[in-house]
Amino acid sequence: MSEKVTKLIDIQTTSSTLQDDDIWSAFRQIERITFELTQSYKYSLGKYSRFFIQLENQKFLATRCESCGKVYAPPRPLCPKCLQVTGWVELSGEGTVKTYSVLHFSPGTSVDVNALETPYILAYVQLDGADTLFPHLVKGEFVDIHIGLRVKVAYTTTPVSHPIHLMYFVPLEVK
Amino acid sequence: MINLPVIVGVGTTNIASEHQGHTVRDLMAESVLSCLADAGLPNLDAVEHGLTSYESDHFNLQMTLGAILQDTIGLIPKPNVRIEGGGATGALALRTAWAHIQSGLCDSILVYGCEKNGRGVTSQTANQLFALSADVDWEMMIGGTYTGFYAAMMKAHMATYGTTEEQFAHVAVRNRRNAQFNPIAQKPMNITLDDVMVSRPIAEPYKLLDCSLLSDGAACILLATEKWARDHSPKFANRPIVYFSGTGCGTDTMRLGDRYPDITNFRAKQVASQQAYAMANITIPIDQIDVAELYDSYSGVEIQAVEDLGFVEQGNGGYAIADGQFDLDGQLPVNTSGGLLGRGAPVGATGILQAIEIVQQLWEEVDPRRQVQNARRGLTDTHAGIASISVVNIFERQD
Repeated sequence: MSEKVTKLIDIQTTSSTLQDDDIWSAFRQIERITFELTQSYKYSLGKYSRFFIQLENQKFLATRCESCGKVYAPPRPLCPKCLQVTGWVELSGEGTVKTYSVLHFSPGTSVDVNALETPYILAYVQLDGADTLFPHLVKGEFVDIHIGLRVKVAYTTTPVSHPIHLMYFVPLEVK
Repeated sequence: MINLPVIVGVGTTNIASEHQGHTVRDLMAESVLSCLADAGLPNLDAVEHGLTSYESDHFNLQMTLGAILQDTIGLIPKPNVRIEGGGATGALALRTAWAHIQSGLCDSILVYGCEKNGRGVTSQTANQLFALSADVDWEMMIGGTYTGFYAAMMKAHMATYGTTEEQFAHVAVRNRRNAQFNPIAQKPMNITLDDVMVSRPIAEPYKLLDCSLLSDGAACILLATEKWARDHSPKFANRPIVYFSGTGCGTDTMRLGDRYPDITNFRAKQVASQQAYAMANITIPIDQIDVAELYDSYSGVEIQAVEDLGFVEQGNGGYAIADGQFDLDGQLPVNTSGGLLGRGAPVGATGILQAIEIVQQLWEEVDPRRQVQNARRGLTDTHAGIASISVVNIFERQD
């Protein structure tokens, strides 16, 4: 085994994917190495930015299409139905769980999520006054999660890496 | 339609959780050689066009694979196009090839797809990479996963229609059972409903055995006009002719919540199937389709599919599936290959693998234990995301 390759995993003998042919007999020795890539982006939140900035002021914004009246939460800067530019509206932050799942496996998609303990609740909430469902986590001790549960937006007080973590949902009335 | 494409040959690798000895290029080459042998062609000299089908530069650790694979298999300097449509990539690639033949742009086109989604990365990294195909700011960053989005849809389906976990466990059992009769399948299993019900929860209501596989593999299909096939493939005259007779495509919002109140089913799949049925003159799908490969990324998704494809009324899918209507001995056998749950799903190859299963069923060339008798017409159903893109393709045998 080579000692000159620092990222070496192993050198092994393999077969072709179709077991019955031998045309690849001269190509059976396989070397594997560890390959690492790390990327960092200057990533713009674009026309969604005002939503995220206002979360810091504990305000929950949505957008409304003046043409059809539809209220989007999460916001859409462009109403896809009317192709009209929308306007910002503030919602109370109270709403109703329309569907959900309890996740027992965390993907670790961000620093904040890495800190998430499983299981956690992913809920789709219709905020009062909105026409769409807003996906986020419902947190709290002994949450009796079910379709129809009334929830409200809670605001995070500790620093977060992505501003979507400035908020989450909690049950409206804690029993 | 004069230029309706015919299938000249098909080829695959085995599908595995990891082909440690193969790069994507190695996998592609093996499946192309297998396709050439199937078509009885000595080489690709007469083939006019290449079409590369793969989803992810991240998983394969290579960009511009369209041209690179064209080089690997010796199709340069002929034209190439690379198609990407998430989970629907392979089916969208075939649909695109259909248009290339129909338009007269070329008379023959090799559609080849591959992916290394297997254990080259950890399942956590795999979930992160797949989550990039969700809405990065609103879904991925909160800890959302596709398993979670599908699970939330199924919760809504259960609440609306009374669908049960036992009903979709039936899919998990049946598709892995079918995989036992497919020599290329990744995860053939002989399991019971109880095994599924007690497997560990992943995203409620889905448990480990309700979830499909991450796979390495490649597949390809040679499509051509009937005249090209007769002129070039010595095997063509020995088989029943299989036409690629219909194709449909629909789209939907990327986020589930934007579809409210319609969150139990896949609208894009309804749209895609209606287009394909109109093209292939199908009015009563359950009677006029003999075999189908459905996109069972999760067991319950097959319940939603049989509804959205119009096999049964919306809300009746769970009951029909638990009743055995779609088993090997049922009215319309589905996922005879084992599906994504049993055969596996190397994304860029998945839609092509589904089509290969249908074509081989129509040719009567599969293992007798999974061969559907007198099959004349088959369907593939493939989608991306939670059906943000959906493609339905129809294949038809004429004797």
